[in-house]
Amino acid sequence: MSEAYILGADMIAFGRYPDKTPGQLAAEAALLALDDCGLSIRDVGVLYCGSSFNAASMLGQQVLKQIGQTGIPCINVSNACASGATAVREAFVAVKSGLYDVALAVGAEKNPRGMLGGPAVDGPSPEGLFGSGSMPAVFAEAGMVHANRYGTTIEQFAQVAVKNHHHATMNPKAAYRKETPLEEVLGSEMIAWPLTKLMCSANVDGAAAAVIVSEKKARELGMSRAVRIRGSALTSDPYEPRNPVMFDANSVTRLAAQQAYEMAGLGPEDLHLVELHDCFATAELLHYETLGLCGEGEAGRLIDSGATALGGRIPVNVSGGLLSKGHPIGATGVANMVEIVMHLRGEAGQRQVEGARIGLSHVLGFGAATGVHILEKA
Amino acid sequence: MAESALMEAKPGHKSIAIGKDGCPYIEAFRCPDCGAVVTEQTMACRACASRNTPEPFRAKETAGLHTWSIVYRSYPGIEVPFVSAIVDLDDGPALKGTVRVEQEKLREGLPLRLVFDDAGGARDKDGAPYIGFHFVEGDAA
Repeated sequence: MSEAYILGADMIAFGRYPDKTPGQLAAEAALLALDDCGLSIRDVGVLYCGSSFNAASMLGQQVLKQIGQTGIPCINVSNACASGATAVREAFVAVKSGLYDVALAVGAEKNPRGMLGGPAVDGPSPEGLFGSGSMPAVFAEAGMVHANRYGTTIEQFAQVAVKNHHHATMNPKAAYRKETPLEEVLGSEMIAWPLTKLMCSANVDGAAAAVIVSEKKARELGMSRAVRIRGSALTSDPYEPRNPVMFDANSVTRLAAQQAYEMAGLGPEDLHLVELHDCFATAELLHYETLGLCGEGEAGRLIDSGATALGGRIPVNVSGGLLSKGHPIGATGVANMVEIVMHLRGEAGQRQVEGARIGLSHVLGFGAATGVHILEKA
Repeated sequence: MAESALMEAKPGHKSIAIGKDGCPYIEAFRCPDCGAVVTEQTMACRACASRNTPEPFRAKETAGLHTWSIVYRSYPGIEVPFVSAIVDLDDGPALKGTVRVEQEKLREGLPLRLVFDDAGGARDKDGAPYIGFHFVEGDAA
């Protein structure tokens, strides 16, 4: 089977785009990624377009109507927060299969405003009567399991926000680029204990895209900026006794990480940087463990040690993460890979992880889906 | 008023069932093969994929606190703060619910008891009342 490479990767700046359609945002990202590797939509054999809320509007076809209706197959993917990573995964499968030499994966979203969660139901509104269905409450409850079991403190969760907001000050495409000292994070509005407002991801719009090509095509176009997809895993939530009454962020991620490491023939000790799904500050600490960056119960100590900050042993979310770069749902999974690609190419500017050759990207979709990709400089 | 008072109360949550005696209970389902317990009727077992249909049973109303969050910002019109929790009923199923216990007492494993209520006084479009539930502190087993 052919190897698959990311040859072009880019994103639009994350933020609010009230005057643009999701299709326009996605098309802008698609053109950026194509330009990044010197290809045209005419070179693309298949398009995968990921979006949680906008996929049903034939988003990929809207992209083609903006940049060229070449008649290629177009697959619209909705997989919650893993929609973008799912698009990349399917593009990877398409290239690995040998059917296509060039596949384009786009993730885009215009997020609904306000706090996400709380599905419509028959009967009385469950919110408040039967606990809370809001995303902050769900991830607060998940974090409290860790706090109860291992003594993890609100300060340790808050340090994730301090770190990721700091990282974002070095990322011109991040939605928010402002330092938030610990006192400010702890002192911001309490949303769902132990999560304050600054420990919740930034609800913004955005789009990101990646061009995935076969080894043959990569050799033809030049390997100097190519990034090899060494591991790709996509999982759904395996059975856990409390799931889905209690959302389980952990087992679905452990399963994907294990599969991606196995495909890559690598382990967490081989990674130089990680972009993981910090939808809430609690989630980042949980994923230190589910991705194997530290042992069970050690996540609080890992953030305290500074190992996951830029300059540390294993920098996590140097882009600013979902907390500060922003979390346009369907774009996030592709944007995480764009960030890794920039570092592996040595093109990340002020926030460059020096000498980075291998990186891991992770996203978690509520419901559930996890995508894990391990990328290596070609 | 008189008319709606005579209307039968409806389950306000999918895990609430009404017994032949007219009393509400929590219905859960157990796989006859692997014993996995879930809170909704599924076609096959979610855990072992056995095609022997999970069997309904009347769950106990004694429980223990698994995890929680104190919710300070909810959706418009919802009174805050309240304690949102995942609660393990003593014979298997887990439920999400609101816990009415002083915040200082909250800890993993805290014994709780499920109490049926009037779902905050909610009524359907015909005026029929709903049955809900919440959790209060229970006796240690």
